[in-house]
Amino acid sequence: MATVTTHPYFKVESVAGHTDVPHAEKERLIGQVFADPRMPSYLYGCYECGICVAACPSARFYDFSPRRIAQAAARHDVELLFQQLEEDVWECSQCFSCLRCPRGNNPGGIITIMREVAVTNGLRSAKVALEGYSRIIYKIMSTGTQVSPDMLQPDAFPDWGPEVKDVSENLSLWRRALPPETHHTTSTGWDVAESTILELYVIWMETGALDMIKEVDSGIHMILEEIMEERLEEEGIEL
Amino acid sequence: MPNGRVVVIGGGPAGIAAARTAAEFGVDVVIVERLAYLGGRPIEENYASLTPYLRSAEEAIGEMVSPLLAMSNVSVRYESKVISCTGEKGDFSIVIEHRGEQESLSAASIVVATGFSHFDPGRETQMYGYYEFDDVIALQDLEAMLKSGQVVRPSNGEAPKRVCFVQCVGSRDRQIGNEYCSKVCCGVASKEAIEVRLAVPGVEVFIFYIDMRMYGYWESQIYWPAQEKHHVQYVKGIITEVLPKDGRLLVRGEDTTMGRPMEVPMDLVVLSVGMEPSEGTRAMAGVLGIAQNKYGFIEAVNPPLDTVSTSRPGIFAVGSALGPADLEDCVSTGGFAGAKAASISLAGVGV
Amino acid sequence: MSDAVGVILSKKRSFERTPDRRSADFHEELFALEAAGELIVQRVTGDYVNVSTKYGLPKKIQKGHLWHHKSCGQCGHIPGYSTSIFWIMRKLGYDYSDPRDQTSCTAWNYYASATSNQAAQAAVALRNFAAANETGYFPLIHCGTSYGHYKEVRSELLHSADLRAQVRKVLGKLGKEMVIPEEIVHYSEWLYAMKDEIASARILDLSGVAVTVHPACHYYKLVEGDAIYDPDVYHGQRTAAVSGLVQALGADLRSYSTFFDCCGFGFRHILVQRDFTRSFATLRKIEVMKAEADPDVVLTHDTGCVTALDKSQFATQAHDRNVGVPVMSEAQFAAISMGAHPFKVAQLHWHSTNYRPLLEKMGIDWEAAWADFQKDLKKLEANEQQYLTWADVGV
Repeated sequence: MATVTTHPYFKVESVAGHTDVPHAEKERLIGQVFADPRMPSYLYGCYECGICVAACPSARFYDFSPRRIAQAAARHDVELLFQQLEEDVWECSQCFSCLRCPRGNNPGGIITIMREVAVTNGLRSAKVALEGYSRIIYKIMSTGTQVSPDMLQPDAFPDWGPEVKDVSENLSLWRRALPPETHHTTSTGWDVAESTILELYVIWMETGALDMIKEVDSGIHMILEEIMEERLEEEGIEL
Repeated sequence: MPNGRVVVIGGGPAGIAAARTAAEFGVDVVIVERLAYLGGRPIEENYASLTPYLRSAEEAIGEMVSPLLAMSNVSVRYESKVISCTGEKGDFSIVIEHRGEQESLSAASIVVATGFSHFDPGRETQMYGYYEFDDVIALQDLEAMLKSGQVVRPSNGEAPKRVCFVQCVGSRDRQIGNEYCSKVCCGVASKEAIEVRLAVPGVEVFIFYIDMRMYGYWESQIYWPAQEKHHVQYVKGIITEVLPKDGRLLVRGEDTTMGRPMEVPMDLVVLSVGMEPSEGTRAMAGVLGIAQNKYGFIEAVNPPLDTVSTSRPGIFAVGSALGPADLEDCVSTGGFAGAKAASISLAGVGV
Repeated sequence: MSDAVGVILSKKRSFERTPDRRSADFHEELFALEAAGELIVQRVTGDYVNVSTKYGLPKKIQKGHLWHHKSCGQCGHIPGYSTSIFWIMRKLGYDYSDPRDQTSCTAWNYYASATSNQAAQAAVALRNFAAANETGYFPLIHCGTSYGHYKEVRSELLHSADLRAQVRKVLGKLGKEMVIPEEIVHYSEWLYAMKDEIASARILDLSGVAVTVHPACHYYKLVEGDAIYDPDVYHGQRTAAVSGLVQALGADLRSYSTFFDCCGFGFRHILVQRDFTRSFATLRKIEVMKAEADPDVVLTHDTGCVTALDKSQFATQAHDRNVGVPVMSEAQFAAISMGAHPFKVAQLHWHSTNYRPLLEKMGIDWEAAWADFQKDLKKLEANEQQYLTWADVGV
């Protein structure tokens, strides 16, 4: 077994967690990254100066480097980009500290696009990264708000201290003790009008956002599609 | 007007070279200078020495200025600026202003030698805290300290134990809009690094860079001696932040060849600021009606083979008014433009 | 001091910005598209404050009649955050709308799970902007991420006719118009703009309260030019949001070396990879603050930052690390200093890290305050009243 790779930034097979695919498939996936309309303003060229890495929180705790992503993209290194798609992109914090790039690159933005490609194509990295995430996708797509009060369960957040238990045990009472009129909800962050949610469903369906999760989480996709189609049909809204 | 005058705007190295060359052809030359003395940036900003030979700036520039002032066909209007210009090649009419008083001058040709200004590090994209921390300085600030013979931390007057230079400050940056390399900062920083090593016993000196751009002979004149003889440490990776920590400055960057983030404490951080068109260069472009490039420098109209002609016939630009330039560039373009200017006077109708 | 040093120091005393490429004003493109009939610009109306942004452009902050674009995370699990923003506005006498016709920006999905796309995000943003415009109230964005993301969306829309066409088609289906507000305003910018009015309404002495500020990445790193900077706050080198208000309130603002670092929230990390969030939030932020500035409280201005910095400390304390600083938004801190109830308004019982020593330092008897709050809860439990109301909190 090889202990070094020919490319300094490649992980050796024994630690790479993904299965290899034919080069043509990598070309197809990376082609989607470069075809994204955001890409021209996210990548110019790379000085390889390391400014993005110095500012990057994830680079301090993972074997992760926004410079390697930008550098691979600037070199159009399909093999390396594919590995990054499967191994690296989910480590980014999406804080955009890397926007300080003197070349005007947006490594975090390149990663946003790469992640979308990983999701749309149901890649292994996306499936692993989004494990345990279904409920959150469901919540935001179906209600237009995220991390609702009732998601603060002590078993899900044991490391957040006893206050999580207090909140969860007193939830409905404590929600009633909030002066803002829109805040008395427990299953959404605030009281979102029904008509507003329907408009959101139209957006998810019309822009293809709903279909993005088809490959990565077919179960949630099916449930959401059913809910949306049913509600829109009830209201007589045609797409 | 067979012996029409040459007016040189700006009395730095490029302007001096232009004036001297034109004058040597026997043409009358008037230098219009913003300051009360000649010499330009190296004198105004108290440079200690010139790159790459480390000769005293005052001495070397002085050797340019004295013979020039001794020439009977050269005169200087100090503390003056050009406020208008009409006419055409061979027959310009210029108005200059000196302490509120105006003077009209005729000229057969004009040489613009208005130079550059140092990039103001307050405008930098990275967070270097030039205006926040006393011990963050710029190349020209260190020059002034070297000239005074004392390299200290401005915050406490103590000698620094660790000094670093950060390259490409205000240059090569799409965000700021200065997409160009300022050419000289790699050499100047390395030269100053050597001087700091010589001036402060035991000091460690680092240079953080994107690429070291030591073209031509500067490689063996400065870069190699800095590394081999003076043990200046070169690290490929640029600094993104300077932060206060325990009375020192912490610089954060990535050591790109090692591939890891780094945080290193420093006593003195020197920002290798780039060049921008000076206020005078911008102003003269407007007054004289000559084209500028997108960065505000004067545009040479027939590059690369004619480096000094501007969009208006009879007006030449030289030195760092044309863009980032080292002293060799300045003196070479100055001499070239001086000769072209003189030829207009001598031909009477222009070339 | 040598002459050379004196000259250097005098040069460094003040920075005067000269415009460069980054000073280009997006309003020109915005108004050009409006003139071409492509979109409607919702104008700032009534009283406003002019504040200065990073590259010197002025930004108008409308004082009243604001449409509160709420934050899912704030409302969901830091409800004292949004409550305090509303409370301050009521206390100062400005009217507002707290709409039900509002979704979140959904950018948590965009940045965390990548289960959205450019067109969807732009449509969500413009649906909300259209909803605001229909009411006549001007949008005020509570969440740092929503604010940063909406600025990205604005920039994408201004520069892409294709994207505008896509979004126009979707909005057409909803019967909505293309609206972009004249300014995209974060609540912390409103607090900054109103800092003098807030400071005059302050009733607690904060001079002994040491504060560190965590500026939120999505506030000042995304479309960085459109964030507030002030020469009187860190020499104009760091954003003045939050810090400017802290100064105006007379608290003891203290710096620390990792102020630029992110909080470690990470969007997906906070939910499914918290070892990273916890490590970053404590090792790079809280511990550094403790060691260098020893603050009584950490103030920040974004949903994710409050969460990451506050919730990460419990498990870390179990390892005897040097942590244990309460975290809240500057809105909560300002409201408390103006007399807001720490539990009924600031809702500190939703926070994890011990805030009681801070309250004591601010001169508040937290035990009495908690007992008072419990009385209200009893009333709610007994169904004597259904909800706590604004009247119950004095505004």
